[in-house]
Amino acid sequence: MPAELLTFAQLVLNGLALGAAYALVALGFVLVLNATGAVNFAQGDMVMLGGYAAVALARALPVPGLLLLPLVMAAMAGFGLLFSALAWRPFRHRPPIFGLLATVALGLALQEAMNALEGAGPQAGPALLGVGEIRLGPLGLSRASLGILLACLGLGLAQGWLLGRTQFGRRLRASAQDPVTARALGIPVDRLIAVSFMLAAALAGAVGLLLSGPYFVTPTSGTDLILRAYIAVAIGGWGSLRGAVVGALLIALFESVVAGYASSVAATAALYGAVLLLLMVRPSGLFPAPLGRRA
Amino acid sequence: MLRLDRVGILRGGAVDVDLAAGITALLGPNGAGKTELLEAVMGLRRPLAGSIYLDGADIARWTPERRSRAGIGWCPEGRRIFPGLSVMENLELVATVGRMERRRRLDRVLGYLPALADKRGAAAWTLSGGQQQMLAIGRALMTAPRILLLDEPSRGLAPVLVADLFALLRMLADDGLTILLAEQAVAAALNIADRGLVLEHGRLQASGTAAEIRTHAALERSLLGAGRYS
Repeated sequence: MPAELLTFAQLVLNGLALGAAYALVALGFVLVLNATGAVNFAQGDMVMLGGYAAVALARALPVPGLLLLPLVMAAMAGFGLLFSALAWRPFRHRPPIFGLLATVALGLALQEAMNALEGAGPQAGPALLGVGEIRLGPLGLSRASLGILLACLGLGLAQGWLLGRTQFGRRLRASAQDPVTARALGIPVDRLIAVSFMLAAALAGAVGLLLSGPYFVTPTSGTDLILRAYIAVAIGGWGSLRGAVVGALLIALFESVVAGYASSVAATAALYGAVLLLLMVRPSGLFPAPLGRRA
Repeated sequence: MLRLDRVGILRGGAVDVDLAAGITALLGPNGAGKTELLEAVMGLRRPLAGSIYLDGADIARWTPERRSRAGIGWCPEGRRIFPGLSVMENLELVATVGRMERRRRLDRVLGYLPALADKRGAAAWTLSGGQQQMLAIGRALMTAPRILLLDEPSRGLAPVLVADLFALLRMLADDGLTILLAEQAVAAALNIADRGLVLEHGRLQASGTAAEIRTHAALERSLLGAGRYS
């Protein structure tokens, strides 16, 4: 394979791994969006918290990351319940902007709390599938990236099944479309939403652990992630699960390839320009939801 | 079964109703308080005064979910189906029971509404107005109600569809369902109703059998300007 093509293929592979990480954040974002119709800007900060939970658990229990994963997810699910009680429940009868601002405020509070507790420096979490690189012919893929890709595939499929094929998912989508009617038909809307926050936080915990190994964790590491996830959901089609994943992969591929040939600063600037152009051409995103169809 | 004791829904008015089996038509012009009364029974609106009893229990503090589980079915104005879900999903998601019972309910509902069986997989938003109304009724029936609250189900439907709709309601009532039907299609509603209530500015102006209500002066007075008598 010519060297230029090889470089391009490696950039694409790196982009896919990065896109899988963005997609995992976007999946949690979409889950809450589908349940409440509200934007959870703290999803990135929950990923950050999940990363610190993984770091703390790895200190206390020196076992492989794969064994820590369920513990981190369970702890974060509990946090998700608390989060819904603080950021969503008090504002559920108010305009959506109240909930959005509450998630921003709680996210900032989390950042400051972790800054005070752990400091601003980066910390490394446990590796999910060990360290080192796997060779795919002439291309290399780190075990951490492989873990992220596999987790994205598994968790994405699981979430698609949960929202699309189960009674829980149907009720969640119905509750998001018309919570008043859903309540009058006996659907426990508040409980469903609390569970969706728990699931989104558990997902954030998994992502936090996955990213804390290769990318480290800092109190502000969630900020970039939520911005990418937000863009992924916006260009993918607001609330579409498939759109969020495709959007995340496109963003990361774009960033990886442009950064590979130019610089990461140029990649970020070009990304925002490209997103603006895309939204001008297709304001509803790549997979627009017909009349509120979601996930 | 369902009793409203001096329930205030608009300022200055109160309603006493002891809902009987069969179909009770709730009549009155726009703004009379029909929707508000149904929403108060369903728990979506807090009444200004009075109490609502179900089987003798005061349900003032019950959530809408609990009222639904206790046997009050809801078919709201404007249908309010879940547009992004399929017909089958709309029906199945409200049955908070096991798979076998859900299947049994579904068979029963599709027995009443065979047209929906052909549209099982269709997205609800693709249905016509009449089909959406049938779906809204089918969805309410999937909660296995003893009392069904219907708010203006004929609105926006062609006369032939209204006839089909009201024939279905009569059939459901004959099979034991108690129905409280808020309607502005007065004549059509009274044709299938056993009893009638006339509401005006949140006050009960008249109540009695459908035949009595049809000739009641209060009906004519309260519906002046309502625009729909047939």
